[in-house]
Amino acid sequence: MDTSQLLKGVLDLAVLAVLRQEDGYGYDVLRRLRAGGLDEVGDASVYGTLRRLYNAGLLTSYVVPSEEGPHRKYYSLNEPGRERLAESGRTWRSFAHTLDDLLGVVA
Amino acid sequence: MSSTHTRAEVQEYLDRMRAALADLPDVEISEIMDDAGGHVVEVADELGDDFSAAALTARLGTPEVYAHELRVAAGYPPSNRSVVAQTPPKPVFAARFAFWALVAGTAAAFGMGIGGSSGFPLALLVGVFVVWSIVLLHRKPELIGQVGELPETAALKQAIDQAEEGPASKAIAYLKSLQPAWWLARAVLVAVSGLIIDGFGVFFLVALALAGLALLSGPRAKTDRRWLWVSLPAGALAAGVLLYVLGAVIPNATYRDNYPTSYAPTFPSLPSNVYVFDKDGKALTDVYLYDDEGKPLESPFYGCEHDGSRYREDNRYPRPRVDYDDRGECREIGGVPFAVSIPTVVQSPSASTAPSAPSGSVDPSSSVTPPASVSSAPPTVPTSK
Repeated sequence: MDTSQLLKGVLDLAVLAVLRQEDGYGYDVLRRLRAGGLDEVGDASVYGTLRRLYNAGLLTSYVVPSEEGPHRKYYSLNEPGRERLAESGRTWRSFAHTLDDLLGVVA
Repeated sequence: MSSTHTRAEVQEYLDRMRAALADLPDVEISEIMDDAGGHVVEVADELGDDFSAAALTARLGTPEVYAHELRVAAGYPPSNRSVVAQTPPKPVFAARFAFWALVAGTAAAFGMGIGGSSGFPLALLVGVFVVWSIVLLHRKPELIGQVGELPETAALKQAIDQAEEGPASKAIAYLKSLQPAWWLARAVLVAVSGLIIDGFGVFFLVALALAGLALLSGPRAKTDRRWLWVSLPAGALAAGVLLYVLGAVIPNATYRDNYPTSYAPTFPSLPSNVYVFDKDGKALTDVYLYDDEGKPLESPFYGCEHDGSRYREDNRYPRPRVDYDDRGECREIGGVPFAVSIPTVVQSPSASTAPSAPSGSVDPSSSVTPPASVSSAPPTVPTSK
């Protein structure tokens, strides 16, 4: 099964999750997702997702000048973001549980 | 990881990306370009020595694919075609306008440089268009990406690419290496153009300012294509001025041949007047002289004033004598001021061999005032001259 299809539905959750521990800029978030095992995630998708979560008021951003090059925009989870993460996390778990059950019957 | 990324390929990638997002609100575009644009630069840096436009595309997809993926993930409408409210056809028109203004501006600048001052009003109009394009490009940064996507731009790019890969590739690469020197020379030539127009006047100051801009535009245009709108016309102007200056230094080759010989009229070497007598010594008036080719033997003549001019030019002889009476009125006196006796014995062939000097000739200028006839010619000498 093509995991990129699955990814579309849960990328929000994944991005929120990697930002829970520590603030990060776009490329940073992308690296953490890949390091976490989601190596099929597209660069542009991550930036788009960050943009959407920010526009939805779930993230705040601040700019950190970099001595090496262009300044970086860091994103951090705010209170609504944390709430969304908790809520989406619950939804995912119950969904995964349901699917596990179904698979258990099939297998 | 060096981030001094000024490679033209990266800039072009960003331009195209920006173009693919052009229908979004300005704030969104600038945020995305800040964010994802920085990402593109960083990825390009990571590629290091392996960097090329192809490698960048292999890693990130084409700018359009990148932008599309980003739009989908961000929840924007997928493409600008589905957006009705946002200025759809205008940017293309503006891009096309900017492109052709650049082309026309470059041509007009070349014409100006080469000394075609007769087209000055047209060049001024084109100059206004170019400045207008620069303002447009400055206010709408995404416009440059759209210019890059015009079919005419694509055709031009393809032609340039083919030239660079063709048989002249080495020569082109060598010329490219001379670019910084050309930028400097170009600035000097632009300043010189002001000098040519009016010495150290207003135009010179304007040209000096333009020269500064031209100098800046060379390296800037490498990373920011908008500078091409300064760089290309400046280059064309400089090339024109160079040709003009060369033409002034070597004038013979270009200008001398342009004067046809008829501009410098040549007259047959005739004495100031000619008197003709028949074999009986009778003076002939109103005689028309022709040369061996049948061309009239015209010579200039200053008579009394007719129709505002004393000068006329014909082949009718003898010329009348010009005299001024007591009141200063001009008179033209016809007739012959002297008489001759023609020898009856010898015919002209044997006469022409006669060795003796023609002492009988009369200076007509001295004979102008006394209208009385003077019989002077010795009978043995024909007064043929």
